[in-house]
Amino acid sequence: MSDIPRRTFLKVLGTTSAASCGIAAFSCDDRREAEKIAATQAALTPEQLTWGKAPCRYCGTGCGVEVGVKDNRIMAVRGDTASPVNRGLLCVKGYHLPAMLYGKDRLLYPQLRQPDGSLKRISWDEALDLVASKFKGALEEHGPESVAVYGSGQWTIFDGYTALKWVKGGMRSNNLEPNARLCMASAVMGFVTQFQSDEPMGCYDDFEFGDDFIFWGHNVAEMHPVLFSRILETKRKKPGSRIIDLATRRTATSDYADMYIEFRPGGDLALANGILHLLVKNDQVDHAFIKENLVFKRGIEDPAVIGYGCYEDQADRYVFKEEMKDASFEELKTFLADYTPERVSELSGVSVAQIEALAKVYGDNKRGTVSTWCMGVNQHYRGTWMNNLITDLHLITGKIGRPGSNPFSMTGQPAACGTVREVGTLCNRLPSDRVVTNPEHRAETEKIWGLPEGTISEKPGYHAVDMFRAMQRGDIKCMWIQTTNPWVTLPNLHRFERKPGDGRFIVVSDIYPTPTTEVADLILPAAGWVEREGMFGNSERRTQHWDKLIDPPGEAKEDAWQMIQVARRMGMGHLFPWPEDDWHRPMFEEYRSFTVGNGKDLATYEQLRATRGLVWPVVDGKETRYRYAAGFDPYVKKKSGVHFYKAKGYGEKAAFWLRPYNPPPESPDTEFPYWLCTGRVLEHWHTGSMTRRVKELQQAVPSAYVEINRADAQDLGLKDGDWVRVTSRRGELKLRAKVDGRGKPPRGSLFIPFFDEHLLVNVLTLDAMCNISYQPDYKKCAVKIERA
Amino acid sequence: MMPLWRHARVIAAVCCLGAVAVSCNPQTSAKPNPPADAVVQTKADSKSLERAARRAYDGAPPVIPHGNLGASCVACHSAKGIQFGEMGFAPPMPHETSPGKGPGKFARCTQCHVFKETDEVFVENSFAGLQQDLRRGSRQNPLAPPVMPHPVFMRENCAACHTGPAAREEIRCTHPERGRCNQCHVAPVTQTEF
Repeated sequence: MSDIPRRTFLKVLGTTSAASCGIAAFSCDDRREAEKIAATQAALTPEQLTWGKAPCRYCGTGCGVEVGVKDNRIMAVRGDTASPVNRGLLCVKGYHLPAMLYGKDRLLYPQLRQPDGSLKRISWDEALDLVASKFKGALEEHGPESVAVYGSGQWTIFDGYTALKWVKGGMRSNNLEPNARLCMASAVMGFVTQFQSDEPMGCYDDFEFGDDFIFWGHNVAEMHPVLFSRILETKRKKPGSRIIDLATRRTATSDYADMYIEFRPGGDLALANGILHLLVKNDQVDHAFIKENLVFKRGIEDPAVIGYGCYEDQADRYVFKEEMKDASFEELKTFLADYTPERVSELSGVSVAQIEALAKVYGDNKRGTVSTWCMGVNQHYRGTWMNNLITDLHLITGKIGRPGSNPFSMTGQPAACGTVREVGTLCNRLPSDRVVTNPEHRAETEKIWGLPEGTISEKPGYHAVDMFRAMQRGDIKCMWIQTTNPWVTLPNLHRFERKPGDGRFIVVSDIYPTPTTEVADLILPAAGWVEREGMFGNSERRTQHWDKLIDPPGEAKEDAWQMIQVARRMGMGHLFPWPEDDWHRPMFEEYRSFTVGNGKDLATYEQLRATRGLVWPVVDGKETRYRYAAGFDPYVKKKSGVHFYKAKGYGEKAAFWLRPYNPPPESPDTEFPYWLCTGRVLEHWHTGSMTRRVKELQQAVPSAYVEINRADAQDLGLKDGDWVRVTSRRGELKLRAKVDGRGKPPRGSLFIPFFDEHLLVNVLTLDAMCNISYQPDYKKCAVKIERA
Repeated sequence: MMPLWRHARVIAAVCCLGAVAVSCNPQTSAKPNPPADAVVQTKADSKSLERAARRAYDGAPPVIPHGNLGASCVACHSAKGIQFGEMGFAPPMPHETSPGKGPGKFARCTQCHVFKETDEVFVENSFAGLQQDLRRGSRQNPLAPPVMPHPVFMRENCAACHTGPAAREEIRCTHPERGRCNQCHVAPVTQTEF
């Protein structure tokens, strides 16, 4: 109390008691509201509910929750104390999961857009016949390139596998993409270019075994809160463990950091090279590890040749052809000569002392080092390069494949790993590390699917941004969007404005109306989360199963079922030869056969049902906590060390990639003098279509805002809450300024969250992308800000 | 995969309870427990309503019922709590506050407890949550201490809700001086087998 004068305290209470039940005065209004709530609550004891298990619906952490059900409705959840992921703890989104399914505007019936723009309820039979005829018509008239399915990292494994088999094995198209292209494609390409197999080697145990936790451009405290809790607990139990926060703005994470290092957007490329420079110069590299386990590679490095995929000449069909060349440790030395601490400091804005401190952390071989990253690195104009560079730091120091020392990519979506990356719902991929461009992989896939040789097309389809550009051009005639909201999330949104009736046919399956259903010709109601059986796979390679716990409302149906019905109507029923009432198990067993013996072995259906998930490869029923590591991974026959057995193309070694600094595609100038970064907040998940319908979450963060540095605000005469207009070369947005909020951008930098469908930050963003992963960069473009 | 120590604690407490019951009153030990659903429902008093209004369901972390005071939460929600005159009582926390040198897993209060910035909703929601269980814990015999009627995970500090100004009449402890609650009151095992 001593810090807060009594008058201020009363004032704070006074101003908030209207918005909440104040501490002292529980007003009449509050009482009425409370009675209303109490009337809707049932007096039951926890024992009177039926409890089932499920992974959380939201992020890629994959927390276990217990779901309490009574009379076909969820009444409570609790953190699953048996889950090795979260050990009973959840975040505010997880605790409020049940309300997510009960928004009053759930989509309940198939609805068809009428010529006047209105929606008309139709039957499932009519809807499915229509979708089948549209896809069939497009295939017959314009060929397999004219159809597309745009799915999600929130798809269950069943949804993703159904889509993959139907699109690639049935329609013989490769136009299958997930929203995860916008989210972790750079991480995929990072792992694939270095280990020829996707997904990390470490697991969440690293957060206890590690000593130094280095966050490369992500706000762990808000985006992976439960993992952050585990790290904070390690900091408590293990004196000397440190958090190092590398970021472009101060966040809740920075509050707990032992070292906060701020870099200029794009400066991370220089910073990583600067650390490598010092490691090599000071000979803090593991020569024995390098000799035994590494090959050196480099690719095209000239930004003028590569481009950014956003300017006029590359705005359509941006495809970059990488040319891989052999390099060596000697060549690396020459390459790094340019990245002296002084030059790196100039490029990145990080002080020489801080660069040296970071080199010391990575160079100290006695301490466990865990580097983690998420969207700051993945949504980057050179996202794959940044992934490569972070892993390079671990490869050159040998700090990889052992408990407490690993590069670890955190995933944003609950099944970005399980469905997108493992099933392979990307325009160039097939299950379990296979790709459409490899004839052997196609043949293996066709064999398992029982399809004639040559069924699967060898030509990769459109990557996500290109897919929507193709639709805009009219090259794609028919598209099905499921479990995602592209009309909020695509960069440079104005490019994709559409009106129904423009000759394309767009089907959208979702649980709530969104800006994407607004442009749909046909809206299909989906079953959400535990309204259907499902499986997700989280960031640490853990596959988690849940049973259907309640019935979906109205006529809502699960995504996979919707696609199977359409496939049947298109004469592709042979792809899904399982009985209507029991298809999940046989479908999973078929999918599992892709993984067995491939180093990505999944557990059996029965095992997954009976456990809180298992971390693959699961061999002889046992999970593998550390991939490639002797003593952990059954595929490694060595007595000690690591064996990168998946990298056949590199002689079963990992590839160290030399990746230079390239400047960002757009930087602030006199006309647009501010950087703009976009992202999430703890309370809302992605586009908010679920979390905004949860009272507690919505009332905590009701709408989007723009964070601005206090000094910049003062210069502009702005104070917290003022209306401002933010303008880029692509669009403008009017919203309120936030000064000294939970995030504090440096001078010359702004931040806007993207959850608000009424304040679309993506009308401002640039659709530049990584040249290898084709993942757009949502983290940097130039804008101006003025009082509105 | 419940931690071993917790098993041990539950088992020890059960043994202890059994021994006490048998030695004090052997002839009543065969009597059935009161039915599990012997719920003591009180009228919806202000405190119940206030409590319910702050939670989506019983077990959900309450929203913060005051504005951002710009201070550390534990400054007021300390081990004993603080009475702010007529404004009310800032109760202690029912879960551990991570003693030790570093921050600990519960350091970030706003990971679970959020402020309320507005009364507006985006879309109406029909979720109806579980209400607080005001049943008295069942007893092995009339003289035996009741078992805890709710899970104790993250509610390890019994005193936070059962003693002091924040304790409601119905659940106020008559003997807080004894300190070690789980010597006599055992927690239900909530681990569900799936």
